[in-house]
Amino acid sequence: MRDDVAIVGIGQSEFGRYLPISQLGLGAKALQAALTDAQLERKDIDGLSLHMGWPLGADYDRMAEVYGLEVDYVHQSWTHGRFVTSSLQHAVMAVACGMAEVVACITAISFTRELSILGGPGDPEGMREQGATHGENPVYGLTSPAVGAAFALQRYMALYGATSAQLAAVPIALRKHALLSPYAVMKQPLTLEDHQSSRMVVDPLHLFDCSLITDGAAVVLLTSAERARSMPNVPVYVAGMQGVRSGRSEFIFAPPGLGINQQPASPTTPRERDLAVYGRAGIGREAIQGFYTYDAFSPLVLFALERFGFCGPGEGASWVQGGRIELGGELPVNTSGGLLSEAHVCGWNSICEMVRQLRGMAGPRQIAGAEALQWGTCWGDSVIMRR
Amino acid sequence: MDTHDAKKPLPRLTPDNRAFWEGCREHKILLPWCQYCDRPHWPPGPVCPYCFGDDLTWKQSSGRGVISSWVVVHKAWLPAFAADIPYNAVQVELEEGIRLTGNVVGASNKTLRVGLPVEVVFDDVTPEATLPRFKPR
Repeated sequence: MRDDVAIVGIGQSEFGRYLPISQLGLGAKALQAALTDAQLERKDIDGLSLHMGWPLGADYDRMAEVYGLEVDYVHQSWTHGRFVTSSLQHAVMAVACGMAEVVACITAISFTRELSILGGPGDPEGMREQGATHGENPVYGLTSPAVGAAFALQRYMALYGATSAQLAAVPIALRKHALLSPYAVMKQPLTLEDHQSSRMVVDPLHLFDCSLITDGAAVVLLTSAERARSMPNVPVYVAGMQGVRSGRSEFIFAPPGLGINQQPASPTTPRERDLAVYGRAGIGREAIQGFYTYDAFSPLVLFALERFGFCGPGEGASWVQGGRIELGGELPVNTSGGLLSEAHVCGWNSICEMVRQLRGMAGPRQIAGAEALQWGTCWGDSVIMRR
Repeated sequence: MDTHDAKKPLPRLTPDNRAFWEGCREHKILLPWCQYCDRPHWPPGPVCPYCFGDDLTWKQSSGRGVISSWVVVHKAWLPAFAADIPYNAVQVELEEGIRLTGNVVGASNKTLRVGLPVEVVFDDVTPEATLPRFKPR
């Protein structure tokens, strides 16, 4: 299925805070923008892959009803970062299998109206029958995904001597990128001093280690490579994919072997199966020109880089120094600012940015000659795209 | 943190974890234990994750372990915890090898570190619920 499916349209709503627009309203704006971008009409869409829904926003049937769509294929994952990649992958598989011809991946979120999902009284995550899986435990006052990232970072710092000041290189780089993005919510530079003096949210996570809480929507349209070649945009091919990793060696916000929750405490370098995406894409890690990841918390970027072998276990904090992950550096990361500084659109803002980059239309953020970019998360799933 | 506050969430008892929380009321840490593998697992589940057997029993833990990671919460997500800010929470690797979540009492947050030896203490927060917490040993 290498290069069999392509992204042919992208669209975004405005990104902001307390936007007076429903989640479906934001999604409609992004869908209209994506259809315009691809020069398609609503009737061309015959598949949906939603990364939204319970307990937020809308389910697929309400969306199709409200938008006037008639589709033959639906995949839906709820609004968790862990499902961003699989939502994209299901769209690719549906097209490749012939179950749909044009699939719209849609995410639409009003986090500013839905704060309870991010922690608080009633914590729907923490009080599930089998408990939550980001380390939440409301009995002890742990009620947000942030606590899981904090547990992982604290142990990582203790094991490897990494410091908060080193970690700051991640949000600082992404803020620099955001300042070049017209869509970004954050408009001011971020300095090391700003980062270090910002309030603690969950020690060791400072405010600027935590993603923005914003509203917005993004849509990605996919179809067959064959059809894409007769469409107006430069096709962005899905070259290779690998799925989310799960098991007792995994904790969602830590690399394998860090020793969080029930993970073994024995750091591991990536195995062949952890790097399958490169073989499937026929594109080696050394050919990746930009890396895009789910940066809900800044340590997740380090963990993702380690997970895909850009550096070894425990080396991420020193590896990201010196502008290495900034535009112009060896491996630019999240070049429109990511969840940390552009907007929290569940990662889809970064996926749209990958498409702009591969079309050569990223303006002041353009990676020169961008041919191959990787999406990869700290929970191990990945999609490599090429032009 | 030790004082009873009715608005703080209490454990949700389920068919899989009920014996653990009932053990806490008797001031015992009971761990789900596979009789075939002769090893504990966590979180409590309906089967042993190592052999998938369902011949499980509950065995008492020493209650001793070391902090494997810790955090200090500074944000008032939960109003019932607002007066406790900044409050800590820890993951503790028990001598039996599994890791429990709890918090440390009787020590300053500044003394927390990965590897700190701790032992369990029990806090009867309501007549129905007892929470395990930890203190340095």
